[in-house]
Amino acid sequence: MAVIAAHGHGVESHGASHMSPEKRLRVNRVGLWLFFFSESIIFGLLFTSRFFLLGTHQEHVDQFLGLVITIVLLASSVTAYTAETAMEKGNRKLAQWALLGTILLGVVFAVGVGFEWSVAEFGLKLSEEHHQEPQNVVFGTVFFTMTGLHAAHVVSGVGMLVLAFIMLSRGHFSKESHWGISSTIMYWHFVDVVWVFYYPALYLVAG
Amino acid sequence: MSKHLIPAALLWVVLTAIGEATFLLDWLPVVGSPEAEEWDLIFNVLLAMGIPVFTFVVAALVYAFTNFKTSNDGVETGATFKGTGMFPKVWLVATSALVAVAMVIGLVSLSNLQADKSGYGWGEDQAPLVIETTAQRFSWTFSYKDKNVELLSAKDSELLLPIDTEVKFELNSIDVIHSLWIPAFRMKIDAIPGRTTFLTVEPHKLGSFETDENFRVQCAELCGLNHTIMSMHIRVVEQAEFDAWLASKQAKVSR
Amino acid sequence: MYAATTIGGGLGTGLLSFYLGIGVAALLRTMFGYDAWDRDFNATIGYIFGLVGWLMGVGMWGTWGREWFGLKIKDPHANSRKELGWQRYFMFNVDHKVIGIQYLATFLVVFMTAGLMAMIIRLELMGSGQDFISNKTYNTVLGMHGIMMVAVAVAAVVGGLGNYAVPLMIGADDMAFPRMNALSYWLVPPVAVTLLLSPFLGGLETGWTAYPPLSVLTDSAQTFWNVAIITFGLSSILGGLNFVVTVMFMRAPGMTWGRLPMFVWSMFVTAWLALLYTQGFAVALIMVTLDRIAGMGFFDAERGGDPLLYQHVFWFYSHPAVYIMILPGFGIALEVIGHFSRKPLFAYRYAVGAFLGILGLSGVVWAHHMFTAGIPNYLHGPFLVATELISIPTGLIFLSALGTIWMGKLWLRTPMLFALAVIFNFACGGVTGIFLADVPTDIHLQDTYFVVAHFHYTIVGGEIFGLFAGIYYWFPKMTGKMYNEKLAKLHFWWMFIGFNLTFFIMHWPGIEGMNRRIADYPESLQTANLIVSLSAFLLGSSFIVFIYNFINSWVRGPAAEANPWGARTLEWQTSSPPPVENFLTPPVIAGHPYDYGVPGAAPHVTFFPPAVGSPAGGGGGGQ
Ligand code: HEM
Ligand SMILES: [Cu+2]
Ligand SMILES: [Cu+2]
Repeated sequence: MAVIAAHGHGVESHGASHMSPEKRLRVNRVGLWLFFFSESIIFGLLFTSRFFLLGTHQEHVDQFLGLVITIVLLASSVTAYTAETAMEKGNRKLAQWALLGTILLGVVFAVGVGFEWSVAEFGLKLSEEHHQEPQNVVFGTVFFTMTGLHAAHVVSGVGMLVLAFIMLSRGHFSKESHWGISSTIMYWHFVDVVWVFYYPALYLVAG
Repeated sequence: MSKHLIPAALLWVVLTAIGEATFLLDWLPVVGSPEAEEWDLIFNVLLAMGIPVFTFVVAALVYAFTNFKTSNDGVETGATFKGTGMFPKVWLVATSALVAVAMVIGLVSLSNLQADKSGYGWGEDQAPLVIETTAQRFSWTFSYKDKNVELLSAKDSELLLPIDTEVKFELNSIDVIHSLWIPAFRMKIDAIPGRTTFLTVEPHKLGSFETDENFRVQCAELCGLNHTIMSMHIRVVEQAEFDAWLASKQAKVSR
Repeated sequence: MYAATTIGGGLGTGLLSFYLGIGVAALLRTMFGYDAWDRDFNATIGYIFGLVGWLMGVGMWGTWGREWFGLKIKDPHANSRKELGWQRYFMFNVDHKVIGIQYLATFLVVFMTAGLMAMIIRLELMGSGQDFISNKTYNTVLGMHGIMMVAVAVAAVVGGLGNYAVPLMIGADDMAFPRMNALSYWLVPPVAVTLLLSPFLGGLETGWTAYPPLSVLTDSAQTFWNVAIITFGLSSILGGLNFVVTVMFMRAPGMTWGRLPMFVWSMFVTAWLALLYTQGFAVALIMVTLDRIAGMGFFDAERGGDPLLYQHVFWFYSHPAVYIMILPGFGIALEVIGHFSRKPLFAYRYAVGAFLGILGLSGVVWAHHMFTAGIPNYLHGPFLVATELISIPTGLIFLSALGTIWMGKLWLRTPMLFALAVIFNFACGGVTGIFLADVPTDIHLQDTYFVVAHFHYTIVGGEIFGLFAGIYYWFPKMTGKMYNEKLAKLHFWWMFIGFNLTFFIMHWPGIEGMNRRIADYPESLQTANLIVSLSAFLLGSSFIVFIYNFINSWVRGPAAEANPWGARTLEWQTSSPPPVENFLTPPVIAGHPYDYGVPGAAPHVTFFPPAVGSPAGGGGGGQ
C-alpha cells in the first residue's frame, strides 16, 4: 500500500496535462503528506489501543536491544537526509552511498526487531508453567502488532530504497528531477517518526 | 412576503395539531415499572417537541411546492434575497435553544439513572433482590443471589419477579456479547465477557408474557446463529406468591 | 476485444497470484513448524497476492508499475479514445468521467443486488414464525445486505457522481492523481466478488458491524469479509485523498472558496472525513483478523483483551461514515435546489459553515452507538452533549434549503423532486436522531427497529434520494441523452411513497418491542411487520421503472443539449458529454454559481478566449 502510494505520487505526470512541473511537484508533495497523515491515524489508533488495554503497564523487554535499534533507525534518517541533499546538489555518487547506507541500517533494524521477537518473554498463550498471565498476553498482542506493523513499513521502505538505488545507478534521476528518490526518503523519515512514538510507548513508559 | 407567511404558518399549525393529536392514542407498549413510566414521559416530551420541528419543514416544503412552482421551463427567476441578514442568526439561536432543551432533559434524567458514575449500568447500586445473569450462545442463566435458585432459559419457562421490589440484574457473558432487554420495563444493557454490567428495575404491574408479550427478556445484540430465539418469558407476581415459588424451588434443589 | 483483454488479464494474473500466495503461506507455515494448511491464514495471504496480481493484470503494470523499475510505460490515456465505445468502461482508464461512470454502474448493480436481499429479509419477516429461510441463511443475507448497502452509501455518490462532476465543476481537466483514481476503482471489483462469494465460503454471522468476540469465534467467511472490507477502505482513503488535493489545487482561475458550488463543498468535506477516519474500520478489522489468524488476544477477555476496544475503534470510523453518507446527499440537494429554484442559494456561507461544523464534530460523538454497550457511566453525558450539538449545523442545511425554495420559481423536474424529498426525509431522520441521542430514551430503543427506521430515513431518505437526484440531474451530461421525464416522475412518486410507508411505519414495531437482526418475533408484532413488508415490496418494485428508463434512455433517448437545465455552473458550459479534456478553452470564473436573477451579477463562467460552440454567456444573469 505504502509502496504504491509513495511511488504513485512519484510518477503521476500524465493525467493533468495542463500542470506545470513545479505545480505537479507541489501537488505530489501535498498528496504524500496527506497520505502520511492518513497512515499516522492507523498508527495512532494502535498506539491508543495500547494504553486503552494496558494503561502504562509494561512487560520486560530487552532495553539494550531497544536502544540499539532505535539509534540505528535514527542514524538511517541522517543518511537518508544526506542522500536527498546530495541529489539536490547533483552529487550522484554521494547519493548512492548514502542510499546504500540507509538500506543497510534499515535491514539491521528489521533484523533487530526479528531478534527481539524471538527472545521476547511474553507470548500469546496463557500458560502457568511459563508464567504467562493475561497481562503478558495482552502485552504480547500489542507489542507484536505494533512492532510488526512498523517493521512491515520498514521492510517496504527498504524495498523502495533498493529500487531507487538501482535506478540511480542505472542513470535515472537528475539534479532537477528526482521525485522518485525524494518521495521514498520522505516515506523513510515518516517511518522513523512513527518509531519515535512507538519506542517510548513500548519500552519506556513504565520507567 | 407576509402574503405567504400567514397561510404557511397556518399550515404549520394545522399539521402540528394533527401530529400532536397522536397523543390521544395510547400506543406506547405496556408500562411495567417506574423506569418505563419515566421513559414514556421523556419520549413524549421529545415527541411533543419533535413534531413541530418536523411539521415546520413539511409545511415549508408543501407550501413552496404548491405555491412557488412554475412550469415555464426555468426561464423566470425568483426573489433575489441571499440570506445574509438577521434571519440565519435567529435560526441559529432558535435551533440551539431547542437542542439545549433536549440536552437538559436527557442529562437530568440520565443522572437519575446513574447512581454509580464509574460503574457499567443503569440504576441503583444496591437492591434487595439481585439476579446474577449469565449469557451464553443461545441461552440465559438467572441465579437468584443468596437464594440458591437458578433458572435456565433453555429449560425453565418463566422468570419470576416480585412486584414492587427493586431487582438488580448483574450480567456476565461467557462467550460473545449479548444484551438483556425487557421491553415492558424499557431497560437494556449488554452482557460482555470480562466485565460485569448491571441494570435495576422495580416492576409495579402484575403481568406475564400471556397478558403482554413485552414481559420478556430478549437478547438484543446479534450473537450468532440462534440469536432470534434467545429470550425468556417474565412473570411479575405478588410478593407472597414469589416467596412460595422460591421456597418450592429451594426445596427441589436441596432434595 | 479490448475489454476482454483487460478483464481477462486481470483475472488471469489475479488467480495465478492467488494460488501463488496460498503456496507461499503454506511454505511459511511449514518453515515455522505449523500445519501447512489453515483456511483463513492461507486464504488471507492468497487474497493479498491475488489483489496485487489483479491490479497489475488489469492495467496498473503497463501504465504505472513499469515506471518503478525505470521501464517505459504505456500511455494511460490511450484507453480514453472515443472509438473504443462502450469498451472504454471495461478498461483501465484514467479519465475521471469514465471512472465516474464505472463507479456509478458498479454500485447501481450492487445496490440492486442488496435491494433484492432486503426483499428476502422482508419476506421472512412478513409473518411471525420461521417460514422461509433458516437462521443461518437469514444472518448471511442480512449481513450481506448491510455491508453492500453501506458500500453503496459510501462510494456511489463520491466515486460515481463526485468523480464525474467535481473536476468539471471546478474547471479542471481531470483529478489530481488520475492513475490513483483508476486504482481506487479497480480495487472495488475484488471486494464485490468476495462479498458475493461469502455464502459459499461459510456465510456471515455478525451483521455489518462485525463485533467481536463473535467475529473472532465465528466459523464463517469472516476473514474473507475482513480483508475485502479493508481493501474497500483503502479504496475510500485513496479516493478521499485524491478529492482533497483536486479541490485544493485544480480549481480554475477565479474559482475562490466562496464561489465553490455546494456539491463540490460537500465532496471536499466528505473526502476529508474519508481520509481521516476510514482507518478506524481498517484497524478494527485488522485486529479481528489478527485475533483470528495469528492468535492475538485483543478482544479475548480471558487473555486480558477487551471486546469494547473494537466498538470504540469501529465507531470512531463508522459514525463519521454516516456523514460520509449524508453530506453528499445534502450537497446534491442544495445544488439542485439552488438551480431549480432560480434564485440565489439562501445563506450559502452558513451552509458551508454547516459542512465544516459537521466535519469538526463528527469525530467526537462515536460512543452514542455504545450507550447500552457497558461503557463506563461517566462517558454517557459528554457523548450525549456532543451528539446533540451536531444537530445545530445540521439545522443550517435546512435553513439554506428552505430559504432557497421560499419565493423561488420552482421548476419541478425530477431532480428537484428528489432533492426536495431529501429535505423531507431527513427532517424525519434528524428528529428521530434526537430520541437516540438522549441516553435515557436510547436505552429502550438501541438495537431495535426504531434505529433501523432512523438510519434508513437518513441514509436512504437522505443520501439515496440525493443519489437519484444527482443521477437524473447529470444524466444528460453523462450520457448525452435525455431521460424520459414521465417515467422518471413515476419512479419518484412510487419510490417516495413506498419508502415513507415502509420506514415511517417501521418506527412502531421498534418501540413496541421488536429488536433488530432477528428472523422471527412475537405474534403481537405481526400486523406491523406485515404492513412494513408489503410497503417494502412496493418500494422495491419502483426500481424496475428506474432501470427501464435508465437503460432505455441511454440507448435510445433523444440527444441532450449542452445545458438542458439552464444552470450557471461549469459542467453545463461544455458539450454533453464533454470532450476528453473537458473544456476546449480554459474557463475563468467570474461570479457566484447561484446568482440567478440578481441584477448586475456576473456570469459564473466565462471563457478566455470565448469557447466556440459553448452556450452563450454561461447561463448568466436572468437566464
Ligand atoms: C447525518 C445523517 C445520519 C445518518 C446517516 C445516521 C445514521 C445512523 C446509523 C447507520 C445508525 C445505526 C448504527 C447501528 O446501530 O448499526 C445510527 C444510529 C444513531 N444515530 Fe444516526 N444518523 C444520522 C443523523 C443523526 C442525527 C442528526 C442524530 C442525532 C442528533 C443521530 C443519532 C444517532 C444515534 C444516537 C444513534 C445510535 C442509536 C442506537 O444504536 O441506539 N443520527 N445513525
Ligand atoms: Cu444473545
Ligand atoms: Cu452515529
